[in-house]
Amino acid sequence: MMGKLFGFLQQKSAYLKWLFFIFLAGTVCFDFFVPRDGHGHFFGDSVIGFWTLFGFFGCLIMILVCKGIAHSFLMKDVDYYWEDEDEGIVK
Amino acid sequence: MTQVSFFSHPAVIFFIAALLMPWLKKNNFMKPALVLVPLIAMFQINFLPSDFGNVSYLGFDLIFGRLDKLSYVFLHVFTLMALIAGIYSSYKDEWEQHTAALLYAGSSLGVVLAGDYLTLFIFWELMAFSSVFLIWYRKKRLSHKAGLRYLIVHATGGLILLAGILIRHSEVGNFLFTPIAPQTATFGDYLIMIGFMLNAAVPPIHAWLPDAYPEASVIGAVYMCAYTTKTAVYVLARGFAGFEALVVFGAVMTLYGVFYAVIENDARRILAYHIVSQVGYMVCAVGIGTTLAINGACAHAYAHILYKALLFMGVGSVLEMTGKSKLSELGGLYSKMPISLILTVIGGIAISGFPLTSGFISKSMIISAAGEDHRIFIMLMLLLASVGTFLSVGIKLPYFIWFNKTKPAVKNVREAPSPMIGGMSIAAFFCIMMGFYPDYLYNMLPYEVLYEPYTMYHLSETLQLIGFTGLGFYLMRYKLAPEDKINLDLDWFYRKSANPVKNFCAGPLSKLNDITGEVYKTLGMRLTMLFAKKMSWFDWNGIDYVIDGSAKQTMSLGDKVRMFTTGKIQQYIGAAVVLLFVILIVVTLI
Repeated sequence: MMGKLFGFLQQKSAYLKWLFFIFLAGTVCFDFFVPRDGHGHFFGDSVIGFWTLFGFFGCLIMILVCKGIAHSFLMKDVDYYWEDEDEGIVK
Repeated sequence: MTQVSFFSHPAVIFFIAALLMPWLKKNNFMKPALVLVPLIAMFQINFLPSDFGNVSYLGFDLIFGRLDKLSYVFLHVFTLMALIAGIYSSYKDEWEQHTAALLYAGSSLGVVLAGDYLTLFIFWELMAFSSVFLIWYRKKRLSHKAGLRYLIVHATGGLILLAGILIRHSEVGNFLFTPIAPQTATFGDYLIMIGFMLNAAVPPIHAWLPDAYPEASVIGAVYMCAYTTKTAVYVLARGFAGFEALVVFGAVMTLYGVFYAVIENDARRILAYHIVSQVGYMVCAVGIGTTLAINGACAHAYAHILYKALLFMGVGSVLEMTGKSKLSELGGLYSKMPISLILTVIGGIAISGFPLTSGFISKSMIISAAGEDHRIFIMLMLLLASVGTFLSVGIKLPYFIWFNKTKPAVKNVREAPSPMIGGMSIAAFFCIMMGFYPDYLYNMLPYEVLYEPYTMYHLSETLQLIGFTGLGFYLMRYKLAPEDKINLDLDWFYRKSANPVKNFCAGPLSKLNDITGEVYKTLGMRLTMLFAKKMSWFDWNGIDYVIDGSAKQTMSLGDKVRMFTTGKIQQYIGAAVVLLFVILIVVTLI
């Protein structure tokens, strides 16, 4: 039954997308009404929507940088470590 | 130790149950025991005296039991975790894994209660040697090798720790495990700290964790994700609170772990890297060292053990039912394993710090502690790590296992068996319950909690961070598609750099060996033959008579010994662990 529910939700994913965008707009609007006294750790605390930008750009930059580093030298074939072990051959 | 205090140590019941496991299985009492033992221990820890089990042995004063609020919160979550993992793993009929798991969980209680470094060291090593069996019981070639590497790394860490303990003893004249002030720390103290940091998987000595945990058995990984790193957090909090180095290492850890989690393909390796990341928060908090930070470290350890175990259980159930854990080979399972999906997502939102989950009330304590200590850069690093956490575990992991494809990527999959669902449900319940009722956790913390997690500002900050991380994922989801590759980490240095040594042995060294052999054959053999001829006369007439008799004896003894010397390192270590227990029990009973 629950499987069907998820199937139904996946069919309606276009609506869910808009629901998600409305939620995002809501979080930014909410930030206008938040009292900011007592949160003087640094300047970002007083900027409305600071965490929106931090979350969004942090996420994008993290994906680009990590994938970039991975593709440039970290990523190897699955058999990288055992390619020379399985046959007992030492290269 | 008197008999009464011997049995009041909560580790004892774990050890006894572990040793009796074959017998319990034969009498169909194995599964009840897996639930009963942690339940008894959970009950027991509420009635422990603050100081017990002082033993004087060979001139050393061993303290097996020291209980205060700091150790209590760890004992509480360790026994609760043993209960959850016990229920989850009771679908498995192999008593061997349960023995290793109970020894491992019991030893972690021993570490938490230890009042001196010697006792701590004994249980510390016992944890390493019992947990390696949880890796080997995956029974794959890869896990065998990963287990050996795990053992070598931990044995090295144990030696560094021991060296530190002995140097410290020569300086202060005792083994007492008490807080060390950063100003007075000596070389020996730093060695102890490095030994502890190795178990906390602090980079650059972290690579054993993402190397070994993904190769462990399904239930092994559930146990291991809870105990090794969190006992390390406990001992760091006990001994090294306020060390500036830990702040920096901890903050780097949080980001290091999520960076790898973003690019990894194996679901359990993603979770393993997230242990590095999450333990980073705790290590950082220990380094900050204020009362709010130490409270935060303990709260986060408590919350983390439960949601990380839940995640490992969820992914473990997928692995158990499909035989796969790579995201690139999974997808579309939502119609087949919906309950596992919901429970895993609860773990995912808890680790991401959603409001009304345990992560929200614990992680924010540490971030606030960094802010209140005016460490803005550290605070931003921790917040960026929580963005990466939601990105990789909150969305990426469930999305690529359960969605992404409309049809299941694996045929004939069923929902996980009920013991697995049961264990996961309990963990999920605690993740949600602590979000709604933070005082359950806050009342247990070492210091009085003046912190209020549910403020308007904090809610707004979290919702924005999480929402827009979600948007970032939505836009970049094709870029994030899993690739069937592996990513190099620092274990490369001890896995690949051994090759020159190997090549030296296989090349020049074996050549030299051949040449020496040749020289010996031509020259040495002739001399030897001549000598042998002279000797043989004496041998025939003198020695044989005496030797023959004893040779027969030796041969029959050899036959008997051969049964034990199988050449398998697993059996040797197993025998050594059992022997250690017997000695430990005999010594403490006397």
